[in-house]
Amino acid sequence: MEELKKAIDIISNLAILLRTSQVHDINNVAVTNLIDKVTGLINDFLKEEKVLQIDLVGEFFYANDTRLKYSIEHLLNFDFLSRELKKRNTGTIVFKERIETQEIKTFVKAFITAGFSKDPFNTMQNSLKGLKTITVDRLKRVKEDEALDMRKVVKKTYFNAVSFTKGIMNKIKAKEAVNIKKAKRIVESMVDLILEEEQLFLGMTAIKDYDEYTYHHSVNVSVLSIALGQRLGLSKKALNELGLAALFHDMGKVEVPLEILNKPTAFTENEWLIMKKHPQWGVKALLMLKNPDPVLIRSAIVAFEHHLHYNYTGYPAVRNKREQDLYSRIVTIADQYDAMTSSRVYSRVPLPPDKALSILIDRSGTQVDPLILKFFINMVGVYPIGSLVLLNTNDLGIVYQSNPVFPDRPKVRIIMDSTGKRTDQTVDLSEKDEQGRFLRSIIKTLDYTKYKINLAEYLM
Amino acid sequence: MSELSTIKDLLQSLIKTRKLIRMYPENNPMYIKAVNDMYEKFERAFQQTSGDIAFQIRQYEILFQDEQVYHNPEKSDNLALFFFKDGIRELKFLKDLGKEELEEFLKILSIDEKELVDDDIVTLMWERDFQNIKYIVDESTLTEDEEYELRATEALMENVTSEEVLLRAYRDALTSETARVPQIVPVEEEDLKALIKEFEKDADPKLPKLVYILSEIIYQGLDKKEFEEFSFIAKSLLEYAIKIGDFESAINIIELVKKAIDDRDIIEEAKVHLKKIIEHAGSTAIIKTLGEIIDRIEIEEKTILTYLGHLDKNAIQPLIEVLGELKTIKARKIIIDGLALLGRRDLQSLIKGLSDERWYVVRNIVYILRLIGDRRAVEYLLKTIKHPDMRVRREVIKTLGELKAPQAVTILKDHLNDPDPQIRIATVRALGSIHTEAAKRLLLQRINTKDFLHRTLEEKKEYFEVLSSWRDEEVTDFLVKTLKRNTLFNRSKNFEKRACAAYALGLMGSKEHLNILKKYIDSGNPLLREYVRNAITRISGTRMER
Repeated sequence: MEELKKAIDIISNLAILLRTSQVHDINNVAVTNLIDKVTGLINDFLKEEKVLQIDLVGEFFYANDTRLKYSIEHLLNFDFLSRELKKRNTGTIVFKERIETQEIKTFVKAFITAGFSKDPFNTMQNSLKGLKTITVDRLKRVKEDEALDMRKVVKKTYFNAVSFTKGIMNKIKAKEAVNIKKAKRIVESMVDLILEEEQLFLGMTAIKDYDEYTYHHSVNVSVLSIALGQRLGLSKKALNELGLAALFHDMGKVEVPLEILNKPTAFTENEWLIMKKHPQWGVKALLMLKNPDPVLIRSAIVAFEHHLHYNYTGYPAVRNKREQDLYSRIVTIADQYDAMTSSRVYSRVPLPPDKALSILIDRSGTQVDPLILKFFINMVGVYPIGSLVLLNTNDLGIVYQSNPVFPDRPKVRIIMDSTGKRTDQTVDLSEKDEQGRFLRSIIKTLDYTKYKINLAEYLM
Repeated sequence: MSELSTIKDLLQSLIKTRKLIRMYPENNPMYIKAVNDMYEKFERAFQQTSGDIAFQIRQYEILFQDEQVYHNPEKSDNLALFFFKDGIRELKFLKDLGKEELEEFLKILSIDEKELVDDDIVTLMWERDFQNIKYIVDESTLTEDEEYELRATEALMENVTSEEVLLRAYRDALTSETARVPQIVPVEEEDLKALIKEFEKDADPKLPKLVYILSEIIYQGLDKKEFEEFSFIAKSLLEYAIKIGDFESAINIIELVKKAIDDRDIIEEAKVHLKKIIEHAGSTAIIKTLGEIIDRIEIEEKTILTYLGHLDKNAIQPLIEVLGELKTIKARKIIIDGLALLGRRDLQSLIKGLSDERWYVVRNIVYILRLIGDRRAVEYLLKTIKHPDMRVRREVIKTLGELKAPQAVTILKDHLNDPDPQIRIATVRALGSIHTEAAKRLLLQRINTKDFLHRTLEEKKEYFEVLSSWRDEEVTDFLVKTLKRNTLFNRSKNFEKRACAAYALGLMGSKEHLNILKKYIDSGNPLLREYVRNAITRISGTRMER
């Protein structure tokens, strides 16, 4: 455990060193102090472990094959290093034996120089050739077959959660006992997979099922909330609590008569009044499930507050305003985003993801918490998964995975090629040619809902 | 020792450690030793097995490298079943296992499964996020509907996107205008600082927030049935609040309910349900929990008394019950003060406690009646005065005195002859507190009996001290006569009596008595001489003070 803390400290300080070196000369005292510090930290680590291998795989850092889970104060540094390593197509840095300050200095110089090179990885590797104690390796791509297997696991977990949610809602309606242990286990599985395969899971939320909207929506809100919670730096246990609270946020809807819930036309004033009762009914449904515990209490709070709005203009109307719970503010954003991008009974035409994001931005500070929204936008990217986009190569595609480092350069699944022929291939918009120019860029977004394009075909 | 023997030994130690961990609290040396020993066993096992140790978990057995190292056909206290039933199929300890992680694992292992209401072993392991203990779980038990995924996938794939649709979309894309793209503002240092503040706030307990939500829900225009459900929820949250020692939240629940009961806008039929919440707050179950909590943890007395002060009379009986079960003086004092608060509103319910089988409870109830000071309790106390336990009788006598119950004098008379000197002294004091003519007469008569001479000096002194509180002519004359009176027999005992009379005159503090007292200032009896001199000093001092 101690070694992992040391590794986190090394990465964090290495990021600070590299960032400082981008603005100051290598001999500047600010840089040399940091070089000394990083050298000391690495050597301290090497006393015990002999080798420190830092790997960047996907969005996660590993130290000697153990994934690093860091607290929020390290977030910016880790993000910076991840972005800079990807720019240099570098995925591995190995430190071994005893490091001298001069060697770290050489590494920093190589890193900075590579940033201006058209072939950054080779530039850096060549600059480090004389060093025995520091080596680098290329960024590894996650193997396609591994990704495929993982996609199957994600899909299974997702649909299991939907099926469970359906069961739980039916049981609450029938006033039957609900298995909370199982709910916890299902959300635990989701948390694990989101921590490992966030993009795959977010992809599942983009597939909307009109017939089973309520259950899919609950799971989608849970997935989006967990992913957002992860971005905010919540612990695993907290992510589980958040995931459960999000999964249960609409439990009050079991009390809404089906003729209202499934009404295809606009609600009457009276029907709206009933619909607006679901937050308070949610509190009741949850607290009547079992004896209270911290998770249930948190879920009940979220159920009550998720339509309250950041400025209390939502419902239910409250007599006294108290600051809304952090989880409620997270779930509100996830709920609004998923609802807007879904086809529901009372709103058959969903909004395209990018449009929904624009609306959320307009609601920042009024309906939704601006701080949490900022993290959400950074998570889903400029072009959220499921967006229909036209590339400068005249290829038409669907955004498949967002890119946290380059938010405007997601992975895209091409569905029509530049000749107007149907095709199926995935491209990464962060890929560059030999001259360092991006191979493809998005030039337009389209409303896929206008065209009955079945996203499940491409995202599942 | 062979590798297999080492592993078998490791598992047996694990079972033994599990028992020890269950028996001793964390700070106990036995507990600490058990953890240390287990850690050493693991270290040795890692050395001998040259690496990580992985167990395959089956229903009734545990395997190591396909060899059985544990077998237990029983369903209870079965290590294999403990893991198997929640889906764990492999358990692996990595060689870097630290003591902290091992201790956390041992804590899970030692949990009484009956206490696991909402969590299973997998959840507990998952929450600990062990770095050096890995496990493989069979997740198939989580699948509700085996066919759901297949059906859902088929349904989602039913409407294949047609070539025509794609072509139309493509053509539109080529000719449409470029849409506005939202700008991404990167997360900055300031955002992280704001987020850290959010986390700090988020660490606050959540129950108070939910109670606030209840206070909002109650005014959301609930109908009768909803009020019934509200009542159920409020009751269950009350129980929870008490269980976790959050008395502030419990008080807030009661206060919001009481406010609603007094609110004209709340429908009358609802108030029946709301009153049930208050009733529940004083129920046997809740009061029992309350007792356990205040015995165990430090909670501000004022807060608990505020809670108890909100309760109805139905709480009195459970509080009496709990009073007899409490282990700490601090907790007993709180309940006594609480019963004094409630007993003022319903003396009859409190009086029922006088029939409790436990003498110490009866004594506490008598004490509470004294705190309340309601004379209606006298008739019941007069019955309790015959209680077989001397400590109860003494408390009753004291209380009767403090309640200044004139009707008690006749009954107290008998207790002046009680075999126990403490009872007799308490009776004398009680008669002094009652302070009626009858009480005075009784004391005077008793002093004049032959038997009185043989009482201890302490008891005699008590009689005269009490008597001095009358300060009337009759008593003054009696004291002067007693001071002067010489006897032929029992002279030393009589000197004690005379000394006590001098003591009483001193207490009365009247200058008029100085002359008579001075006559005995040089008495040959040292006791009388001492008491007379003290009395003179006292009177003079009193006068000087004036």
